Amino acid sequence: MALNPMEQFEIHRIGPPLHLFGYDVSFTNQSLFMCLVVGLVTLFFAVAVSRPKLVPGRMQSMAEISYEFVGSMIKSAAGEDGLVFFPFVFSIFFFVLFSNFLGLVPGAFTVTSQIVVTFALTVLVLTTVVIVGFARHGLGFLMLFVPKAPWYIVWLLVIIEVISFLSRLVSLSVRLFANMLAGHTMLQVFAGFVIGLGAAGLFLKPLAIAPMLMILFVGALEMLVAFLQAYVFAVLTCIYLNEALHLHGEHH
Amino acid sequence: MAPSEPDDLRRLGERIDEAGRKREPTSGGAAPTPLGIAFRFGAEMISALLVGGGLGWGIDWGFDRWSSVHTRPWGVVVMFVLGAAAGIRNVMRAAKEMNAEAASKEK
Repeated sequence: MALNPMEQFEIHRIGPPLHLFGYDVSFTNQSLFMCLVVGLVTLFFAVAVSRPKLVPGRMQSMAEISYEFVGSMIKSAAGEDGLVFFPFVFSIFFFVLFSNFLGLVPGAFTVTSQIVVTFALTVLVLTTVVIVGFARHGLGFLMLFVPKAPWYIVWLLVIIEVISFLSRLVSLSVRLFANMLAGHTMLQVFAGFVIGLGAAGLFLKPLAIAPMLMILFVGALEMLVAFLQAYVFAVLTCIYLNEALHLHGEHH
Repeated sequence: MAPSEPDDLRRLGERIDEAGRKREPTSGGAAPTPLGIAFRFGAEMISALLVGGGLGWGIDWGFDRWSSVHTRPWGVVVMFVLGAAAGIRNVMRAAKEMNAEAASKEK
């Protein structure tokens, strides 16, 4: 029995070891679950819209609601022209959402509890923001880092704005990663208490119910966190895209 | 049966419109919980401090490595303070976003 609460985050190699340009690129449980997440999302939407009807059934309804949910999220955060990025935000939201929920299945690996994954997603988002900004405004995009201020203070503010922009790399990736890591560790720790108390003396055995109930509550909380973190990640993506589209937040 | 059908359809349409109007203000996401707000602010602040300090450390390291000027520890000291300023900027920006969102929901 896994009593070490961090063991669930360990990455094992599955299949033969592969090396490319000196890097270990073997297929791992991490890769397996990422493929699984992508497969599940694709399967869900493929099944949901396979036989579209004017009056939607349950599956089709879910697909339509999620479509509208992401659509209204983009519209409220980035405006109408932000809808160009619908596929991008939609993919990110559902990748994170399904990873978080798949991670809650007992025995499953949580893809988003690895900082590499969340950091890679964040780099993807911010690179998109920078590319979109330069494509839209040319060098004028750099004005994002230059607030309106007298000349003797502006250079200081530019440094602050650059740090502020770079700090998103950390805040966006660490928030998702830390939430998933902390929640899953907590669940495992309480599960360890249940086993420990269950194996203890006769009088201590009934006490095992307390951490068991705790697991129930934390599990429910984790459901909420799983959705909320996916939502927060997607909303912040929209907000950053909005800045690239409309410099200095002209929209709103 | 046949003459009453348009009337039924009209009433159904009215009910759908009404349901749509009722749903509109809530669409577009969950309201942040106080704990969520606290975590958001904390993350914004700490990440800016880390990035500021990290950049400062990088500057010191770079000067040490490629020039004879020794800036250590001033790069870290100065950039950490600027990082704190950037963190406060982040928190203010996040608060402004949240206020705007709350205001648009109340309408």
